[in-house]
Amino acid sequence: MLSSLQNPRQAAAQLMNFGLILSTAFMMWKGLSVISDSPSPIVVVLSGSMEPAFQRGDLLLLWNRNFFSETNVGEIVVYNVKGKDIPIVHRVVRKFGAGPQAKLLTKGDNNAADDTELYARGQDYLNRKDIVGSVVGYMPFVGYVTIMLSEHPWLKTVMLGLMGLVVVLQRE
Amino acid sequence: MASSQEKISVYNLADLKNTTDDAIPNYLNSLHFTQSHRLTDVRLALGYSALALAAACFAWDHHLGFAATTHLTACAVALYTVLNGALTAWMLFAERGAVYEGSAPGPGAGGQGERVRIATATPRRNVPVYEMVVEVVGRDGARTTARVSRGFAEWFDGAGRFVAAPFQEVLASAVPVIGRADPKRAVVKVEGEDAAAAYTPEMLDMLARASAAGSAAETATPSGNGGAKRGGRRRKA
Repeated sequence: MLSSLQNPRQAAAQLMNFGLILSTAFMMWKGLSVISDSPSPIVVVLSGSMEPAFQRGDLLLLWNRNFFSETNVGEIVVYNVKGKDIPIVHRVVRKFGAGPQAKLLTKGDNNAADDTELYARGQDYLNRKDIVGSVVGYMPFVGYVTIMLSEHPWLKTVMLGLMGLVVVLQRE
Repeated sequence: MASSQEKISVYNLADLKNTTDDAIPNYLNSLHFTQSHRLTDVRLALGYSALALAAACFAWDHHLGFAATTHLTACAVALYTVLNGALTAWMLFAERGAVYEGSAPGPGAGGQGERVRIATATPRRNVPVYEMVVEVVGRDGARTTARVSRGFAEWFDGAGRFVAAPFQEVLASAVPVIGRADPKRAVVKVEGEDAAAAYTPEMLDMLARASAAGSAAETATPSGNGGAKRGGRRRKA
């Protein structure tokens, strides 16, 4: 077990195995980003504003390329607002113009009013570049783990520590 | 030496294999074999360059954002895939489970003899059988392969201590190159007698206790019992 750490090559290999697990996960994430052209191709729903379509904790798959058609009214999109770091999942309800300069208005299915209140000060609409991606698929409830992790940050430390310990102690 | 005193769980196949794997380089290097670390070094180089690439990708993504570095990130992902694929291919086709590569001591000081490569596996799940494939390439390029398949119980006592002597005997008897370097351990099989029966569980316990008593046994000279396989000088394992 721990005595294997006395051999520097073996120790280096074990450290490498642990690192490769993390780096492979990261590079898979980046690969998905590159393919979908979205900085964050998988997001978790944090609020109930899109019920009954999406519940808190649902995992959404995003696609940010316009191969066949532009982003249109009726699509559910994830967008970022300047000055706020949490992306929002809402439906496009109005569109003026076409192309990258089109003006889009969004609204949560479960909200009484449209999103103008949520936009930045003085902003009345979204541009195409504000959008992180359109929702093309979802998995119910799976994302609840990340909600737990972000609401109780110490869980992250515990999980990472456990993973590291298992990899260092165990040569598969 | 710590590894010979350390107890492992005899029900853990990975522990059995790893402990035995660790004993092979110890034994052969003590016979003045020259170990080659080429396989491990290439694996480490591939793996750590992939790690460095991922770290660099993380750094530029963190500092510059995704939109500014999309093409760079795409290249990095492609290169990472290639490096990781090369690493997997290296482990599958070059290492093939090798735990030791090296050359036997040759004639004269610093001379190189036959090249030896030992790959090990536990071919069946939950069956404590250790399989060694020993490839020897002679100085004339002739290649011989020896396959040894033995139960772990032959060199682990009931408490899970590794006992070096019987294991070394297995290796030295099965591979002529090792047998020549360590004639005391090389046993010629007598007809009708199973080599596995050479060590009873009681004897394994005794040997384990003797080795636990200290490495002073190392200096005990076995003069007078040449060819005896049981009371011979203990080697580090």
